[in-house]
Amino acid sequence: MTSPGDGPLLAARGIAKRFGGIVALTDLDLDVARGEAVGIVGPNGAGKTTLFNCLLGLETPDTGTVRFEGRRIDGLPAWRRARLGIGRTFQRLELFRGMTVADHLLVAEQAHRGTVRVWHDATHRARPDAEELRKVAAMLARLGLEDVADRPVEGLSLGHARLVELGRAMMGEPRLLMLDEPSSGLDTPETEHLARVVTQVRRDQGTAVVLVEHDLHLVEEVVDRLCVLDFGRMIAVGSVGEVMADPGVRRAYLGSET
Amino acid sequence: MIQFFNYAVPGVPFGCVFALMAVGLVLTYKASGIFNLAFGAQAFVSGLAFVFLVQDGWPRWAAATIAILVLGPLVGLVLDRLLFRRIRTASPLVKLVPSLGLLVALPQAALIIAGSTPDIPPPSLVLNAQHVYVHLGAVPLSGLELSIAGSTVVVVGLLVVLFRFTPIGLEMRAVVESPRMTELAGINAGRVSAFAWILSSCMAALAGVLLAPLYSQLSPENYTVLLVWGIAGAVIGRFSSLPWAAVGGLALGVAQQILAGYLPAGIIATGLRPSLPFIVLLVFLPFTRQRQSEDPTADCDPPSTTLVEEAPGYRSATTLVASDGDGVHAVGAWHRALQPLAASPLAARLRGRPTVVLAWAAGAVAVGSALTWVSADWLFTLTGGLAFGVIFCSLTLLTGMSGQISLCQASFAGLGGFAAGQLAQHLDLSVIAGMAVGGLLAALLGVVVALPTLRLAGLPLALATLAFALLADNILFPVTWVGNGATGVIVPRPELGPVSFNASRPFFVLALATLALVAGLVKLIGDGTMGRYLAAMRGSEVASVSVGIDVRRLRVLAFALSAGLAGVGGALYGSLEGSLSSNAFNYQISLVLLVVVAIIGLGSITGAVVAGLVYTVLLKELATLPARYSGLLAVLFGLATLSYTRHPEGVVDYLGGRLQRLLGRPAPGGSGAPDGGPDGVRVPAVPTGRTAG
Repeated sequence: MTSPGDGPLLAARGIAKRFGGIVALTDLDLDVARGEAVGIVGPNGAGKTTLFNCLLGLETPDTGTVRFEGRRIDGLPAWRRARLGIGRTFQRLELFRGMTVADHLLVAEQAHRGTVRVWHDATHRARPDAEELRKVAAMLARLGLEDVADRPVEGLSLGHARLVELGRAMMGEPRLLMLDEPSSGLDTPETEHLARVVTQVRRDQGTAVVLVEHDLHLVEEVVDRLCVLDFGRMIAVGSVGEVMADPGVRRAYLGSET
Repeated sequence: MIQFFNYAVPGVPFGCVFALMAVGLVLTYKASGIFNLAFGAQAFVSGLAFVFLVQDGWPRWAAATIAILVLGPLVGLVLDRLLFRRIRTASPLVKLVPSLGLLVALPQAALIIAGSTPDIPPPSLVLNAQHVYVHLGAVPLSGLELSIAGSTVVVVGLLVVLFRFTPIGLEMRAVVESPRMTELAGINAGRVSAFAWILSSCMAALAGVLLAPLYSQLSPENYTVLLVWGIAGAVIGRFSSLPWAAVGGLALGVAQQILAGYLPAGIIATGLRPSLPFIVLLVFLPFTRQRQSEDPTADCDPPSTTLVEEAPGYRSATTLVASDGDGVHAVGAWHRALQPLAASPLAARLRGRPTVVLAWAAGAVAVGSALTWVSADWLFTLTGGLAFGVIFCSLTLLTGMSGQISLCQASFAGLGGFAAGQLAQHLDLSVIAGMAVGGLLAALLGVVVALPTLRLAGLPLALATLAFALLADNILFPVTWVGNGATGVIVPRPELGPVSFNASRPFFVLALATLALVAGLVKLIGDGTMGRYLAAMRGSEVASVSVGIDVRRLRVLAFALSAGLAGVGGALYGSLEGSLSSNAFNYQISLVLLVVVAIIGLGSITGAVVAGLVYTVLLKELATLPARYSGLLAVLFGLATLSYTRHPEGVVDYLGGRLQRLLGRPAPGGSGAPDGGPDGVRVPAVPTGRTAG
C-alpha cells in the first residue's frame, strides 16, 4: 500500500546493524507512505528499538540508506531529523525530569521552530509567544492533560507520562510519528485513550505513524499494514489479518498454539 | 633498553600506590555508586595518625595497626552511615558534592584535632625507608620502595582471594551488578556496601601510611595529587574492573617516571608529568559507562522521596507568564491556574513573594551601608564577595541549569584575571576593556573544554573538567605571559574616562554593577528559551535531541557563556586584590567553589550572590583565628555537606521555601515557587497513582 505518485514518506533500504558479534538488523527495508500507519511487531530483542534508533540517527547503521520525503537523511544528526518532521516516543520513558507537563510541550514546540536564542533571552524577548502558548494549550486539550498541566512530570501516573511523551512528539506537527511501545505498562482504558489520540491526529493532520507494539488490539485498531521482525529480519509484511495467518509468524512470535 | 629499565623501575612503587588508590575507588564506586573523592583525605588522615603515634613512641607495627585497621575503616564506616548511603540513588551532582567537601574538610579537621604537624619526618612501615637493600640491575631499591611494592602485592592478592573464594566476595560482586536485584534475592545490600566501604577505607589508610615517607612533610595537597592519579587509574579500569584499575595505576606510575627521565628538563617536562592524568582521563573517559544504566531494574525504582531530582534555576513557563501578567493566551485549566496572579496588581504580586521583597530590602540596606559607614576593611571583603558572586553566577548557569558539573570554574576565572592584568600591563588596555577581553578569552577556553568532553556527562564530565583544571595549573598558568607562576600578574584598578575606580567605594559600585549585570543576564537566560532547553537537556539528553534540540551546540554555548562570566568575575577579583598569583585560582579553589555554591544554592541568583558574600566574609572572619584553626572554613563546609544531602536545593532555596510558607501563599497551581525554587517539584502525590499493567 504505497502512496501513488510522489513516492513514500520514509524509505529505508538495506539497513544493517551489528553490536560486536550480535546481529541486530540484517538488510532491512521499510517504506512508509504519507499518512500510512505501519505496525512493527516481533519478539523482544528482534531489533525493533534498534531500527528506530537507526532511522532517527541515535545510532549509526553499518550499512543502508534512509530517505525522508525523497531526501537522504542518513548523514544528518538526530536533532536535524527531528526538525524535518519526525517525532518519536520512547519505550523506556525519557521525560525531562523536573519540568512541568506544559513545559514539555512548550520546549518541543520551540525546539521545532529554531535553536537557542541567547540574544533574545538576554534582551527579555524570549517569553513564549501567543502562538506557542495556543499550540501548547490545544495539545493539552487534545491529550486531556489540562488538569496536570502544571505538575512536574515526576508525580504523574504512567498513563499520563506516556501521553506527555506522545504530546511532546506531536508538537511541531510532524509528518511521521514513531511510537515505541506506547502502551507498555498501561491498562485498557489508558490504552484506548492513547489509540483515540493517535487515530485522531492521523485523521486531522494526515500524520504517518510507525508503531512498535506488543498489544495486538492496539495494533489492529491503529495500523494499515503490519511488519513482523524476527532476529533482525523482516519475516512478513501485509495486512494484520494476512500476517497473523502466516505460519512462520505464528511460530516466531505467537508460539504454535492458537 | 637498560636506560628505559632504569627509568621504569623507580616508577613501580609510585604505580603500586596509584593502583591501591584506583582499586579502592573502583571498589566503593561499584558497591555503593559513590565515587569517593574523599579517598585522598582518608589516606592523609591515616598517614597523619601513623606518624603521630610513632612520634609518641608507639612501635611501628602497633601504630600501623591502629591507623590502617582501626582508624581507616572507622572513618569509612562513619562516612557511609552518615552520608553516602543516603545518596546512593541521587543525581551525580548530589553524589559528588559531599565527597568533594570531605576531600577538603577531613584533612583540615584532622590537623585541627592534632593541633600541629608532626615534628619527625614520616617513618616507613616495615623496612628502613632510606636503606638500600638490593639492586635490580643498576637500580637501587630502598626499603621504602620494597615495602610499598610488597604491601601492594599482598593486598591485591588478598582481594583476589576475597572476591573469588568467599561468600561476602560473591555478594559484593552481586551488589555491583545490581543492588536491587541482590536485595530481592535476600541479601542485605546495605551491609555489603558497608563492608566495601570498610575494605576500601583500609586501602586508603594503607596507601596513606605507605606513602608518608615519600614526603618530608605530610600535607593534604600531596594526597590530593595522589588521588588524581588514582582517579586516572580507576578510569583506565572503566570504573568497573578492579584488575584493570590496578594495572592502570601501576602503568601510570611507571609512565610518569619514564616521562620524567626522557623528556628534557623545562616547562614541558615539569608541566607534562602532572598533566599525564589529564591525558589519560580524556582518552579513556569516553569508554567508561555510567553505572546506573547497567542495572536492569533501574526502571522499576519509584522516584526517591527525599531526593527528587531538581532542575534548579529553571522556572516553568507558567510561572513566567504569570509573573508577566500575560497569561491570557492560554486556555483551559492551565489558564485558570494563571488567572489569580495574572489579574493582580504589582502590590498583590509582591505580597505573594515575600522572600523577594525581603531580599531586595536587605540588599538596599546593605548597599547603603557599604557606601556610607562600613570600614574600608569590610568594604574590601564585601567587594570580594560581589566578585565571587559573579563567579558563582557562572556556576548557576552551567551546573545549576544544565546539570553539567564543572570542576574547572576557577581556571576560567583565573584566565580572565590574568588576561585583564597582562593586557593592561603590556598593551596598556583599560582594565574595564581587559575584563571584557578576559571574559571572551575565558569563553574561548570554555569552548576548548566543552568540545573534547561533548560525549561525557555526570561523573566522567566532572572528572574531565577536574583534569583540565590540573592541566591549566601545571601548563597554562606558570607561563610568564599567562599567569606568571607564583609571582603572579599585577591587575590594576580600572579607570573609565575621567572616573577612577581606584578608591574602594567607587570600586565597590563597579563590582556591584558588574554583578547586577551578570546576575540579570543569567536570570534572563534561565527564564528564556536557553534556560528551558538546558533544563530539558538536564532531564534527558536523548529526548532533547528527539524534539530537535542541538544538544552539542547547546552544551558548548553553556560552557562558553559560563566560562566567560567566570572570567569576568576573576578579572574583577584580580583588580580588587591588585594582583593575582597562579595559586589564587588553582584546581582546589574550583572544588571549593562548587561545594560552596551547591550547599548555599545552585538554584537561584540569590543563592549565587549569598554564596559569594558568605564565602568571603567567612574567610575574613576565620583569618583572625589562631593558626591552628586556619582550616576551620573547610571543616564548616564539610559539615554543611551533611545538610546538603538532606536539602540538595541549597540553604537559600530551602529557607526561602520555609519563609514563603510562613509569610505568603503558595505559588499558583501548586507548582514552581516564585523564586524559581525547586520547591515546586515537591508536589503532593497524584491521586491516580501508578497503574500496574
